[in-house]
Amino acid sequence: MTTTDLQMEKPVDTLPGFDEAQFSSVLEEGMSPVLAAKREEAFKTYLQIASPKRTDEEWRRTDPTLFPLNDVTRLPALKPVRELPESAWDKEFDVVVAVQDDAFAIMHRNDTAEKLGITVLSLADAAEQKPELVDEYLQGRAVPAESGKYEAFNDAFWNFGLFVHIPEGVEWEKGLLIRYRMEKEDSLLLPRFVAVAGKHSRATVAEHLESPDAIRFMAVPQRELYVDQEANFKLVSLQEWGLNSYQIANDWGLVQRDANLNWITLNFGTALSKMKFGSDVAGPGSAADMDGIFFAAGEQHMDQRTLQIHSSPDTYSRLLYKGAVKDTGRSVYQGLIIARPGAIRVDAYQTNNNIVLNEGARADSIPGLLIDADDLKCSHGSTTGNLDPEQLFYLRSRGINEHDARQALIMGFFEEVVARIPQEFIRDIVHKNIEDKMER
Amino acid sequence: MSTESTAILDDYKYGFYTDIESDAVPKGLNEDIIRIISEKKGEPEWMLEWRLKAYRWWLKKTAPSWAHLNYPPIDYQDICYYSAPRKKSDQPDEIDAELEATFEKLGVPLHERNRLAGVAVDAVFDSVSVATTHREMLQEKGIIFCSISEAIRDYPDLVRKYLGTVVPYTDNFFASLNSAVFTDGSFCYIPKGVRCPVELSTYFRINALDTGQFERTLIVAEESSYVSYLEGCTAPARDRHQLHAAVVELIALDNAEIKYATVQNWYAGDKDGKGGIYNFVTKRGHCRGKRSKISWTQVEAGAAITWKYPSVFLEGDGSTGEFYSVAVTTNRMQADTGTKMVHIGNNTKSTIVSKGISAGHSVNSYRGLVQVMPDAHQCRNYSNCDSMLIGPDCSANTFPYIESENSSAVIEHEATTSRVSEDQIFYLRSRGLSEEDAISMVVNGFAREVFKQLPLEFSVEAVRLLEMKLEGSIG
Repeated sequence: MTTTDLQMEKPVDTLPGFDEAQFSSVLEEGMSPVLAAKREEAFKTYLQIASPKRTDEEWRRTDPTLFPLNDVTRLPALKPVRELPESAWDKEFDVVVAVQDDAFAIMHRNDTAEKLGITVLSLADAAEQKPELVDEYLQGRAVPAESGKYEAFNDAFWNFGLFVHIPEGVEWEKGLLIRYRMEKEDSLLLPRFVAVAGKHSRATVAEHLESPDAIRFMAVPQRELYVDQEANFKLVSLQEWGLNSYQIANDWGLVQRDANLNWITLNFGTALSKMKFGSDVAGPGSAADMDGIFFAAGEQHMDQRTLQIHSSPDTYSRLLYKGAVKDTGRSVYQGLIIARPGAIRVDAYQTNNNIVLNEGARADSIPGLLIDADDLKCSHGSTTGNLDPEQLFYLRSRGINEHDARQALIMGFFEEVVARIPQEFIRDIVHKNIEDKMER
Repeated sequence: MSTESTAILDDYKYGFYTDIESDAVPKGLNEDIIRIISEKKGEPEWMLEWRLKAYRWWLKKTAPSWAHLNYPPIDYQDICYYSAPRKKSDQPDEIDAELEATFEKLGVPLHERNRLAGVAVDAVFDSVSVATTHREMLQEKGIIFCSISEAIRDYPDLVRKYLGTVVPYTDNFFASLNSAVFTDGSFCYIPKGVRCPVELSTYFRINALDTGQFERTLIVAEESSYVSYLEGCTAPARDRHQLHAAVVELIALDNAEIKYATVQNWYAGDKDGKGGIYNFVTKRGHCRGKRSKISWTQVEAGAAITWKYPSVFLEGDGSTGEFYSVAVTTNRMQADTGTKMVHIGNNTKSTIVSKGISAGHSVNSYRGLVQVMPDAHQCRNYSNCDSMLIGPDCSANTFPYIESENSSAVIEHEATTSRVSEDQIFYLRSRGLSEEDAISMVVNGFAREVFKQLPLEFSVEAVRLLEMKLEGSIG
């Protein structure tokens, strides 16, 4: 075979509707040369990665062809506006980023962020105004592994970028709320969120994503969390996309020496979603706590993959994902702890508990360990079952009716994670979501 | 056959080679070779047809690549698919003296005088079964225990009824290959209500160079019967890789119980991973009857590469599946082993206990599936997979798959990976034990849960085997 033959064979693979032409229209939206160059680079990578197939191990349980990429239209780059309607929880935060269909607003409720030197800008603005801060994080990504198709897709096509930077030594008490409300039928949102917590800093970010049940909508978000030395960063992400929406998410956290990442994902929405949450405790002494709740009822299908990568010695990670499935809901949990060669004195724990509430619902649990070092402790535990009949019987024998008893048990089941959520209003929404799903 | 040198014996005590005249077919695989094998065995037409179908299917398949293993592609045309020790023509029914000496050396008793051992043995040398002991006593009970070739000749109806019903020739690449070229193995049939009084056992030995061993074992336990079966394997130490692709099928009917134990000690290659057996095995049992039980116990201590997933399909209501495994890898060995428990019937239970020990530069993976079908009510599974790491360069992986489609199922899985406990070693050292003895004691304690599933003689053997394997791996 000659060299030309080989070149000809190089796969050029596009997701339905996202080809060269579509990409040039993205470039026409106008952006800084740095970002444009990054996008072009990403687009090349995107072309070379084969689209996921059902036969790929990662996609065996979630059919990639069921995502309606053909039917949705990418929203053009979201436009900044001064203000968007308030929500009841805004007052809990110093800065609120609101995203609504084709517009977004960054609203400072007071001057705290300004005083502390905290940057909250759209990625486009940040690249222009503060290249010295942003460029570093545009070079690589928090992803320690190779890009997947959808990661490269977001890199090339993202239509809303947000950059948050907390300077060295700053403690941001009230933090940031990012809320999405998408009401535009058949739209595709590709948000890209880059958060940087500088050395010794401390901050909390809350995210709330929602859309009405009636409209079809798709999101391909990508979050990158850089937690620098001795920093402490918390992200709580509450996903309540409507029941007719779709999501493919690829989120990564990179944790440096002695830093701490605290990451809670709460997934209640979408008809079909495939999510990846990965953390890399990359500096000695760093720690990652990952918690999650998911509840698939009706015909929902939720596929979640978590990765706990230990690329440094003396690192710690703990993961607890709790899920319930009801009606014909289906959940897939795939977790992996990876200890890279040389990562000694590692402590890693992974627990996945599933409650299958009725026949017809299904929960797959695939915890995994991939260990290339000795002198460490890694463990995982997984349980799948219905509510404990003995506990149910006990409550019934105390005169609590079946409905309330089940409700109480399921609340108790999730409470271990709910109690770790710092914001009260999010805890309330989570409780309400669980109740609603139980009632339906 | 030349007097081939076996210089690389190192510490593998079963690494000797028996110089014996053998009757082999040319290397390579095609339909003619399969016809020759079939003819040599005097097989009926249907058997040959089945082999050819399997072969044609195999041609269309590629070797699976999902396992966490790393080895160069195998040239299937460079393997000899049939090799048998040639019988001396003047005494056709006697076992060759040299062969007998070989098995004696391996500790396999071929004579009835060794009845004390309480084990009935079928010994397979390269491609053929050389002797089956205790036959008369078993016959009285109605138990059939013979080589599979004999079974095809003497009990064609039984074999035809069950062969390939658990592992069809379309099952996977290696099973298809086995179905096309399998040469020997054991057949075991326990009639209704019979409790087999002795342990049945097969001993496999690869002797000739460049031969693959493709054995096929079929065990059928009729209603309310019981059988315990043991399997042991060794091979000469050679600096080339040899292929072993076996298929084992177990069928348990109502209230029947089959215990199947393996002590696998194929030659694992030298310190740098040169030579050794590729062990690609498909083992599966069907609990077809109500309240039937199949229990797999394996001690995997040898082979350069192990690819093996003894599974149980729990079809009958109330049936039980068990899997107990100790897998030891040292030097450059690679193992990807585990089990599948598929719950199809109601009230089915399964237990998985897997202990992996990796040392040196080895890679040891557990891969398992627990599946509960939508119509299987009140199923229960408990899995426990522990890995122990000895030394900084080895790796241990765990990939359990849990798929529950029924809400009444209760499934629990636990896994841990850790280094051999320093506290325990320190304690034992302070009592005057050498470091090696201390580690061996800790390791034996770690694997105890599995060893106690083995019959006594084998259990002792397994402990010794483990000690031998880990000797020198502690630095």
